[in-house]
Amino acid sequence: MTVMRDTVVKALAKIQVQSNEKGLIPEYEVLVNLLPVSLLNAFSERIMAAAPPERKAEVEAGLVRAAYECGYHTGCGIITSDIFSEVVMPMVTEDEKDILRGAFAAFTAWGWAKSGIVQLKEAEKMIVRAFDYYEADSGGQGLRGFMLRGLCQAFFDLAYAEPYPDGMDTYVCHQTKGIEVGDAYGEFVVVKK
Amino acid sequence: MLQQSAHTLIQEQTNNGLTGDLSLTNITNLLQFLSLSCKRGVIKLVRHPGNEEGSVYFVAEELVSAVSGNLSGIEGFADLLGWEQGTFRFLPDVGCAEKTIGLSVQHAILEAVTLLDTRANEKTMHQNTELEKRSLSMEQAGRESSEVMNSLLEVPGVDAVVVIGRDGFVIESAGSSSRVNIEELGASLAHAINGVEEMGGELNVNSFQDMFIEYGRAVIMCRPVGDAVAAIITPDASKLGVIRHKTKKLFTELGQSF
Repeated sequence: MTVMRDTVVKALAKIQVQSNEKGLIPEYEVLVNLLPVSLLNAFSERIMAAAPPERKAEVEAGLVRAAYECGYHTGCGIITSDIFSEVVMPMVTEDEKDILRGAFAAFTAWGWAKSGIVQLKEAEKMIVRAFDYYEADSGGQGLRGFMLRGLCQAFFDLAYAEPYPDGMDTYVCHQTKGIEVGDAYGEFVVVKK
Repeated sequence: MLQQSAHTLIQEQTNNGLTGDLSLTNITNLLQFLSLSCKRGVIKLVRHPGNEEGSVYFVAEELVSAVSGNLSGIEGFADLLGWEQGTFRFLPDVGCAEKTIGLSVQHAILEAVTLLDTRANEKTMHQNTELEKRSLSMEQAGRESSEVMNSLLEVPGVDAVVVIGRDGFVIESAGSSSRVNIEELGASLAHAINGVEEMGGELNVNSFQDMFIEYGRAVIMCRPVGDAVAAIITPDASKLGVIRHKTKKLFTELGQSF
């Protein structure tokens, strides 16, 4: 048995991703903001456009970093949550590999990105494919999957680096393909830093 | 006479020998003709170009020995059979000191031809293996999974190809099938393969290699490709044999991507 994606998606899709009076998703104890994707993309593109050429890489790294920080803490909330323990953990037979499968199924269930693992060498490398991530229809030039880059890196850190919160920045994620540049899918490769 | 040095006799009989050109006959015909005439002696050969030398000693129908460069015995004789250009000289009544063959002429020819065939087959197999290796490494370096999947679609009878992760994530698909919903196939197949692999584990018969599921309106053939599973959808089982044969190499190639 391994983690079955459809089982996870069906179970998690039932949960209402709605903030409580403190602005947190009760199941994961993480902050929720219900904002349109276009807002995120518009913000990213404006900040990129405003940056001088020599600082664009820095701005790009900042956008990835923001997603990473969010993904690292939210990801930990997800994989240690009761619902994850109930739905995903009984199907886990390959430890971290299955936890990551479950995490990407959760990603899909909540509409963050229809994504999944294509290749995984434990603690070494992971290739993720995504079909409708936030920046897939970004108007910017070049590869723009900042959010998923940060999240893939965060999830791999959670799975294979030092236990939370000491494992940050062990791995790095590069985007190699993108729907926004005309590819059929987005491809994200996580490797050791 | 048999013990007499050939070198001495050649010098003594240079004008008495039968000579000719290998382009007009060949060593097999020549040897058969001379041996059937109950002759004995040596056929001295010079290959063109290169001026390599060879010799065949025989006594009536027995092939006593043969030499071609550093090769002797059947190996030397087999090598001489391949000479197409050059000259020969038959020196009668010349013997040799060492018997390296000792077979009838016909038997020796058969042995030499068999040896040549075996070598030719080995060479062809080696060349094919090298070609396959080279072509595979070129394909590995140059072809993306989508290209390999398009090649799979070109196999007669294949409607659609889909690659799924072990968790049921549809990684990639090509072609279309009116019979099967590709998204649902991913999830269903992952469940089925999990069951099949669990069974394999319990029966201790190793991991699954191939799976065919024949339904009334479609046949699904699955095979592991790297860490994922590839499935082919075909309308019926009539072309399954051809599909299986033609997709084998492509599945291996596809495995490099997952």
